[in-house]
Amino acid sequence: MRYAFYPGCAMPVKALKYEISTRSLARKLGIELVDVPEFGCCGYPAKSMDFHVALIMAARNLALAEERNMDIVGACTGCVATLSEAKEYLEDGDLRSEVNKKLKALGVKEFTGRVRVRHFARILIEDYGLERLRKEVVNPLGSLEFGVHYGCHYMRPARAHEYFDDPSNPVTLDRLITSAGAKSIDYTNKNLCCGLTIMGISEDTGLRLAAEKLECLSERGVDAMVVACPSCCIAYENNQKLAGRTLGKAFNVPVLYFTQVLGLALGLSERELGFEFNRIKSDKITGSLIL
Amino acid sequence: MHGKLFDKERLGYCYQCGKCSSGCDINRLDPSFQPHRFLHLISMGAGARLLKDEGIWKCTTCFACSERCPQGIRVTEILWLARAMAVASGFVPDLVANQRDALLRTGRLIPVDNRKRERAGLPQIQEEPSLAARIFEMVRKH
Ligand code: SF4
Ligand code: SF4
Repeated sequence: MRYAFYPGCAMPVKALKYEISTRSLARKLGIELVDVPEFGCCGYPAKSMDFHVALIMAARNLALAEERNMDIVGACTGCVATLSEAKEYLEDGDLRSEVNKKLKALGVKEFTGRVRVRHFARILIEDYGLERLRKEVVNPLGSLEFGVHYGCHYMRPARAHEYFDDPSNPVTLDRLITSAGAKSIDYTNKNLCCGLTIMGISEDTGLRLAAEKLECLSERGVDAMVVACPSCCIAYENNQKLAGRTLGKAFNVPVLYFTQVLGLALGLSERELGFEFNRIKSDKITGSLIL
Repeated sequence: MHGKLFDKERLGYCYQCGKCSSGCDINRLDPSFQPHRFLHLISMGAGARLLKDEGIWKCTTCFACSERCPQGIRVTEILWLARAMAVASGFVPDLVANQRDALLRTGRLIPVDNRKRERAGLPQIQEEPSLAARIFEMVRKH
């Protein structure tokens, strides 16, 4: 199993614990994540500026992976969705040849459409397999209860993600967490957006969205919330205090990446999982490390 | 070309059921935000009015409405296009202006701190500061 690893803009700067734990987990499972130094922006921010610019940015990354004969694996749901959507738009032959002309001018070979783009969580399920993963567990997390937050772009638009998960009632992250022996709860606003994209536009509304979910998980008393996207983590972890203020509350909900949870179960160390970068500490979580 | 992607005729299939708005969490928190009203304006040929409307920037791009629309209209994607058209006509929110500056200057949304990465044992990120600017220029000239 060998993939072109697409880190995006946010993870390499704002989510070091996610990148560290993703790389460690992949290494542990024998999944090769190959760095492609030429990868650029996925195009997400440019979508609000110019449709074509965004599409060319995305297509360039897709073509770079094709040049190397590798499929793309990303860990930011925003990047994965943006690249997948672009791939879907480029099924239109006229649009593709127009974009390919631009790629040529950028010194990149043409995009053919054969590259696949998937989230790291998805390849763990589809390519590695849950059964196999279960066999690697050396530290079953039976005493821990998590609240999974998928993040909108994890499974939507469903068409771009090949309908790998249900767009309104997703299950794949829960399955990963339970494979690690931990409990993943059902809760009322599981589908709620983290609100990060509108921070700086309508800040109060954005924070309220984050607060509603934190309130629910806090009342349920989960040991941590589990996320699969740097933006979601920023909304719930970095902004937790601000979010709490909109409801007049002070939350204390630790936020982990799913890769950190799986790494715990597989016996990886605190360092390998980047726990030093978690802002909301939990003795119960770090106490379950066996290394 | 957008017509082909988003199937302009399809917009005429919007029967104003309001399902996009009723499933929208932004609408729940801020009732003045109503995606079905945007669709109404567009299908009436009055989409230009959206360009000045701050409302189009309140959408989180969660895609819940696109998945719910019984007529298969890509509501989120259409609002997103409306934003790009607003920017092209000079209505640029500060947040987007800042993001555009960052892209044009550095090629990325968030500047890399390679020293911090090194301390964390992570590989260096190679920057290509002029890439985004080149792509913007290419599309402008076209
Ligand atoms: S859900 Fe679809 S058909 Fe109904 S109002 Fe919204 S865009 Fe129109
Ligand atoms: S994509 Fe935008 S308009 Fe649609 S449901 Fe989400 S926030 Fe509302």
